Amino acid sequence: MLSLRWLFTALLLTLIPTSYADAAELQQATFKNGVKLIVEEDHSAPVAMVQIWLKVGGRDELPGKTGLAHVFEHMMFKGSKKLDPGEYSRKISAMGGSDNAFTSHDYTAYFETVPAKEVNNVLHMEAERFANLKLRDEDFQKEIRVIMEERRMRTEDDPNSHMFEELSAAALRLHPYRNPVIGWMQDLKRLTIEDVRAFYKKHYVPGSVTVVVVGDVDFKRIEKTVARTFGRMRAQPTPERFNPEEPEPFGPKRIDVTLPAQLPLLAVTIPVPVWQPGENDREAAAIAIATSLLAGGRSAKMTRELVDREKVSFSAAAGYDPFGMGLDLWYAYGVLGPKNSPEKFESSLWKLMQKMGDKPASKKELAAAKKGIIAAEVFARDSLYLRAKHIGILETVGIGAAHQDEWLDAIRKVTASDVQEVFRKWIKPGRSTTGLLIPAKGGKS
Amino acid sequence: MNLFKRLTPLLITSLLWAIPAHAVPPIQEQQLNNGLQILLMEAHNVPMVSMQLSMVGGSRFDPDNKGGTATLLAAMLGDHTARHDHEALAQLLDAEAIQLGAGADREGLNLSLTVLKEVLPTGINALAEALLEPGWNKARFRLIKENAISAAQKAQEEPGTRAAQASVELLFSEHPYGHPAGGTLASLKNIDLADLRRLYQAQLKPEGAVLAVSGDITMPELLKLLEPALAGWKGTPKQPLFEISRADDVHGATRQIEMQTSQTLSQLVRLGPARRDADFFPTFVLNHILGGGGFGSRLMEQVREKRGLVYGVYSYFIPLATSGPFIITLQTRADQAEEAEEVVRSVLQKLFSGEIAGQELKDAKANLIGGFAQRMDSNRERVGLMSMIGVYNMPLNYLQVWTQKVESVTLADIKIAAKTYLDPVQWNLLRVGPKSRVEAREK
Repeated sequence: MLSLRWLFTALLLTLIPTSYADAAELQQATFKNGVKLIVEEDHSAPVAMVQIWLKVGGRDELPGKTGLAHVFEHMMFKGSKKLDPGEYSRKISAMGGSDNAFTSHDYTAYFETVPAKEVNNVLHMEAERFANLKLRDEDFQKEIRVIMEERRMRTEDDPNSHMFEELSAAALRLHPYRNPVIGWMQDLKRLTIEDVRAFYKKHYVPGSVTVVVVGDVDFKRIEKTVARTFGRMRAQPTPERFNPEEPEPFGPKRIDVTLPAQLPLLAVTIPVPVWQPGENDREAAAIAIATSLLAGGRSAKMTRELVDREKVSFSAAAGYDPFGMGLDLWYAYGVLGPKNSPEKFESSLWKLMQKMGDKPASKKELAAAKKGIIAAEVFARDSLYLRAKHIGILETVGIGAAHQDEWLDAIRKVTASDVQEVFRKWIKPGRSTTGLLIPAKGGKS
Repeated sequence: MNLFKRLTPLLITSLLWAIPAHAVPPIQEQQLNNGLQILLMEAHNVPMVSMQLSMVGGSRFDPDNKGGTATLLAAMLGDHTARHDHEALAQLLDAEAIQLGAGADREGLNLSLTVLKEVLPTGINALAEALLEPGWNKARFRLIKENAISAAQKAQEEPGTRAAQASVELLFSEHPYGHPAGGTLASLKNIDLADLRRLYQAQLKPEGAVLAVSGDITMPELLKLLEPALAGWKGTPKQPLFEISRADDVHGATRQIEMQTSQTLSQLVRLGPARRDADFFPTFVLNHILGGGGFGSRLMEQVREKRGLVYGVYSYFIPLATSGPFIITLQTRADQAEEAEEVVRSVLQKLFSGEIAGQELKDAKANLIGGFAQRMDSNRERVGLMSMIGVYNMPLNYLQVWTQKVESVTLADIKIAAKTYLDPVQWNLLRVGPKSRVEAREK
């Protein structure tokens, strides 16, 4: 028989259906030295995700020193005052956890998934290596070779990535999204341990740290631990993020990239605004919906029109990231089959996008696009990693994690004419840079 | 862009992690009248449900010279039905944000579903319709096939794709595992719609199939939806999963595949254990020491940490109904390939001759046993584990006893496994890269 408590719970569940995509309450604290803590408690399993977010990334590198931010993703595992090289990860795995790190233009983050009872240990270890990194030249000399192998694997030997790298560099003049996060090979060859140490001193300061914990933890306890670790570090000046204003394009640009490849790929990139809560909610959300209508779900117009009906490419996609800094380099591309021509694909793509500016999306299409974005947020809540990552990104790029629920509100409010406006104002040929991957002649590979 | 310093395990199928027994949600089991096995783990923290229907109809059942038949069949089933053409089905699913997927691996043809709890009935009906009312539209088949051929050509740009094809051809040649699951540029061209229909008729049957479900649902709720939706589905596959012979061993062969790349991809391959082999657990722990454990494994220590030759070097085996491949793989600047291969061989030689310390075994076991809980903390991962358990007919308490199985592996066990699998002269070598090391493209 159902107890009253259970009945009550069941009732509650039926009463709150519309807001379940919204995150649980975030608890925050800021310490005197600038360190910030954000916790989302979830007691459904005895595990926790700890992520240390730093306001430093590829964008903060000086000319000639690209790749430096990402070097730390390697060097942070090479030993600190208390831990030998490799010992950090060994300790994490011995406690039944796993650790990793990632770097983007906008941030660097280090993370661990651990049994909830180990969170305090992990925070102590993270703070120790953050403050006391060894940075030995012999380790750096080995790691920079590893990084060059990483670059060869991901970029040099992948013609599609290579083309996108060239395209980003051609599309932007000032904004640092023009440089690859892993760094240009020419720069990697010249980096020294002195560069690494100077970067560490400047950017690995308390004011750039956000500690994010999601899982089976108690906020008050975590707050105490962070106060005793990251919170106790000496305050230092926090460098201003490099975020220049990109000049408006004056007309279409185009590059050809000839590389050993099997088939061509044509991509269009366009600088578009990112989300600034309270400033451009409607506009950013409309770009997200427009992109979703083009490339999201099964009914995606690029698939329907370009792949299925016109058969001008065998696959086609588009992407927009509203959670960046300064701008997003919006993209759309088609992968061309042996019978396809780049010119045909390009003109069909622009005709399609022109049409989306001229004709409003149907109510059904708009509703499906919104539903898809909202459902994706629910599915993402199934992963502690994604939940913590979303909080970390919002906080580190300057949007603020406290605004996270406002994004779906903005999505819900988008109208068909908002979407049309996107294609009139932002996504248009005169603002675009087009890149074509041309398979090298005689390059049968 | 995320640049991961550490390595994502390449093949989850080869791994199963330990978890404290109390932390594993129990697997509930039911069998429908038609023989379909239903496995469920409840998880009520997010209002969603994930599931996968795995049938004994993967690429090993592709007709001769028609590799990719199962993959195309999956693509057709997921694309449209007799009642809904591809546009109508797309609209129906998109309207409720229902994610319906279809694909094939070596052994299974799988339909998958991820939905918000509130639209689960629509989702299950769509999955059942895709399975039981195929549309067999000729125009769609032509397009799907043509696009698959283009995609196969595009994939030839990836050294990993080249190596994967070459390694299965070398290890399995005429064996059912002897082609990539998705087919090749050549084999896809040979496939007709009739081939798909024959495979569908012969293998996509409820006996031996498994529906693994994880999410915000109970077994009674689930059965109430499934029973009517799958009522018309009956039968037994013509060929059962375990009716397959082991491929003959191939030892000491070398293959070179030319590509204009700056790196050479070196792959050492041989046959490994099958899913239900007695030496599965010793080999599993041994592989963790060799190169399955990422940082801390011998290959990673020697090839990356000591010498800086690679970004990653891994070893893994794919346990199937019978012996699948055992693979060691690395990528390095072409002029360093021989040096890196030498290091790999010396690592193999040491393990083969029994140089394994008790402490190393202890650490490997602790690492494996400790690191399991988080691998089961999402619906998608739980569905994957349950599918494996169901398809290979493992005991339902497999996840609970896994820790004991790893814990009970002894030093003597892994030394025997090393004698069986790690003799350096038995491994075959594949190289994908520039013909001459001097020609390595470097800017």
